[in-house]
Amino acid sequence: MAQPQHSFIDWLGNHLFSCPFKAHFGIDCPGCGLQRSVLALFSGDIISSFKFYPATIPLLFVVLFTIVHLKVDFKFGAQLIKIVFAGVAVIILINYIYKIYTHQLI
Amino acid sequence: MSEEQGNPEENKPIDLSKNQNPEPAPFQPIDQGPVTPPPFQQPPPFQQQPPFGQFGAGGFGQQNLPNATASLVLGILAIPACCFYGVFGLIFGVIAWILGAGDMKKYQLNPSLYTESSYKNAKAGKICGMIATILSLLFIVVVVLIVAGAIANPQLFDEFIKGVK
Repeated sequence: MAQPQHSFIDWLGNHLFSCPFKAHFGIDCPGCGLQRSVLALFSGDIISSFKFYPATIPLLFVVLFTIVHLKVDFKFGAQLIKIVFAGVAVIILINYIYKIYTHQLI
Repeated sequence: MSEEQGNPEENKPIDLSKNQNPEPAPFQPIDQGPVTPPPFQQPPPFQQQPPFGQFGAGGFGQQNLPNATASLVLGILAIPACCFYGVFGLIFGVIAWILGAGDMKKYQLNPSLYTESSYKNAKAGKICGMIATILSLLFIVVVVLIVAGAIANPQLFDEFIKGVK
């Protein structure tokens, strides 16, 4: 079971969408790294997933939690979604500013 | 996918509720003329809803707000969608914002008709849409500034890009 999954992830890794912003200007956009990060997470590498894009884990959490919330209808659901979503936005901003300062916008 | 599945189920109740809103008017004269408005608006839904209860989710014949789910889903999808120059993020975010705000108004006009949980969802969708819109706008402003800088002064722009790298 492990091998077909692994090759599928490799295949996905070779077929990522390329960022038009990066293609034109040669700089990362605020969303760059998300796909690599998700792939790293799927292959079980949480640390490199975080390094590629720190907002991936909370973002995936929000998406999954929203699906569950729309089915089950938690009392605190909407509030939690709002808070985590705001956190994701802040993480993305901080991550991009950090990338600019540390010259990682390859 | 979830917004596509959610919409058709929840769109049916809108039409019903819109049809029901005009109906309370004929009931008003029956209820002893000059009393304050709130007593009129609240009782009719409870009397009229049970026949349509098969569509609604609430126990008292309350319905979900029509666009709450769509607003929430679009608001959340707006951030992953911001990749393409922030355009899709902006579109999704604005749509989520408008849908959420519209549903909030609908709920405030007639709170007894809709479920409170769907109101919370609409509110969350509106706020998520706002956040995504602001992020996308920031990104678009940066793109416009970079393009303007590249057109105005190409040499300086090249040095700037090298400096950033």
